[in-house]
Amino acid sequence: MVLSQKLHEAFKGTVERITGPRTVSAFKEKGVLSITEFIIAGDNLVSKCPTWSWESGEQSKRKSYLPLEKQYLITRNVPCLRRAASVEEEYEAAGVKFFLTMKITMAETKLDEENLPSMETLYISKNKTIQSIPSYFGGEEEEDIPDIGDYNEPDNLIETDAASLQSTYLVAHEPDDDNILKTRTYDVSITYDKYYQTPRVWLTGYDESRMLLQPELVLEDVSQDHARKTVTIEDHPHLYGKHASVHPCRHGAVMKKIIDVLMSHGVEPQIQFVIFISVQHLHDTAIRLEIGSAVDVKDQLKQRDLMLRL
Amino acid sequence: MAEEEERKLQFAPFHSLADEGFWRRLCSLKLDTLGIDQSPIPITGFYAPCSHAQVSNHLTLLSESLPPECHEQSSLASTVIRGNRNRCPVPGILYNTNTSESFRTLDKQSLLKAEAKKIWDDIQSGKAEEESAVLSRFLLISFADLKKWTFHYWFAFPALVLDPPATLTDLRPASQCFSLEEAESLKAACNEWRSSTPTSDVPFFLVCIASNSHATISFLRDWEDCQSAYQKVLFGFYDPCHLPNHPGWPLRNFLALISSRWKVEKISFLCYREERGFPNLDISLVGEALVSVSQAWDDPQFIPKAVGWELNKGKKASRCITLANSMDPTRLAISAA
Repeated sequence: MVLSQKLHEAFKGTVERITGPRTVSAFKEKGVLSITEFIIAGDNLVSKCPTWSWESGEQSKRKSYLPLEKQYLITRNVPCLRRAASVEEEYEAAGVKFFLTMKITMAETKLDEENLPSMETLYISKNKTIQSIPSYFGGEEEEDIPDIGDYNEPDNLIETDAASLQSTYLVAHEPDDDNILKTRTYDVSITYDKYYQTPRVWLTGYDESRMLLQPELVLEDVSQDHARKTVTIEDHPHLYGKHASVHPCRHGAVMKKIIDVLMSHGVEPQIQFVIFISVQHLHDTAIRLEIGSAVDVKDQLKQRDLMLRL
Repeated sequence: MAEEEERKLQFAPFHSLADEGFWRRLCSLKLDTLGIDQSPIPITGFYAPCSHAQVSNHLTLLSESLPPECHEQSSLASTVIRGNRNRCPVPGILYNTNTSESFRTLDKQSLLKAEAKKIWDDIQSGKAEEESAVLSRFLLISFADLKKWTFHYWFAFPALVLDPPATLTDLRPASQCFSLEEAESLKAACNEWRSSTPTSDVPFFLVCIASNSHATISFLRDWEDCQSAYQKVLFGFYDPCHLPNHPGWPLRNFLALISSRWKVEKISFLCYREERGFPNLDISLVGEALVSVSQAWDDPQFIPKAVGWELNKGKKASRCITLANSMDPTRLAISAA
């Protein structure tokens, strides 16, 4: 981890400890969320997209300002069928479908060309190829791991069973090399970032044999323009270990822009909307995941009457 | 499927996934509480029906899977067992050894047999009808090398072997097996089952279809009533598997229960699968299997043979995970610099 990031984390941690959580809504003014608004938005996500649920996470990492059983949101085992590098054709083909997203990302682009994702940056350079994946978490260059992992069981384990299907990989369709590479899965979680007062999206990756991926390898699935800029690797506030996350520093500002766009069209923005946008944001800028909510949200947002109800 | 008259019913094996939090908690439990004690530890695994047509779900171990440490027992005890629709709790047992040698020499066959016996006993006593998750009971053996932050482990999902094996007479997408009204009613019933708190994490159930196409979902304990009251009864379960031609592993012990307790020989089952959190009858399967178990199953002393050690990339081998990158203080110091 870079030193500046470390310092910033320490600073942020201190501020979080000494300041109280936001209780007064500043959603329309600043695009940020109070604790209550985060809970409302989360409840809405859980009810509309039931693959998401609230969890309480690590006992030692519980935040007292959040309800015990509603510490963060998570959806597990989301397939990522393609590496980011192979995404571009799909975006070209789906141009029309992404109308609203486009509008949002345009708002972002105006705001900050450097750090923010935009539709343009999704066009990843064609010659980027993905190297082979070391599969075990941190284990690819281990010199001193005893090799009992490789050791085949002798007679102690005799199992011949005609009723067991002899398939071992999580293969999407046909077991060619390409597909095995594509069937990584992700746990996606959304936490409340007290410092930035916004939702924050986290990714925990697993390879095709369901072994934990190093967070660095998660960045392979993230478009290279966002890796380490928008998407960074940090400690998860409710779980152990380092996880990749969409950095929330511009979230409030982006949200404010979206709110302004909506209001200029005579649409009253509602807080439930925010987490959908976060997920959508992740989906469009960073990584191709088959998240339950993504498509539904787009459809919902396209219909204005629905948007009014949101 | 239709052209293929009969074939052996094959089940897609269950897969395991243990997250980083689980191993971290095991570390601290071992260091702070257990010491050199090697007694088996009751654990809880979580699974959910397949929710994407492309990947199977797995049995997941989280840090909550381990029993709470003493000082947190009071506050946490109630939250551990509780599941939700995305994590149905399944009981399991962990044998963690102190040395690599004892890990290797564990008698895997007898351990598996012992767990299978528990499943069999629960079927015979009727407990499995009250608390259906015990049908998917699992076993984990491990050796935690705390000096190297490395864990060797091996999962088993004990399955009672039907003898002779079940024959599959039909298996097709559920959408092809119901009339439009039945399908709509079934989806509504599934949605209700999945979203109400007392039932959302109950993985085995009865699907009852009345002559007026109205579908209801009932607990296993209501079998007697359902059988007489409804025209069609299917045995439903949360299927973690996504494959279009095979049901998932949990069906195995369910078939054992159905045939040994209720003496049904022609079993219609529903592999319940979801898409984006809602029932999807195109990827859910309905099948019909013929099960005729041998006389031996009626003998009270009899225990069926069991299988279920998880393969690692097709081989009978344990798995290994190292968390040195995130736990080793020296490495953390280097990466922080």
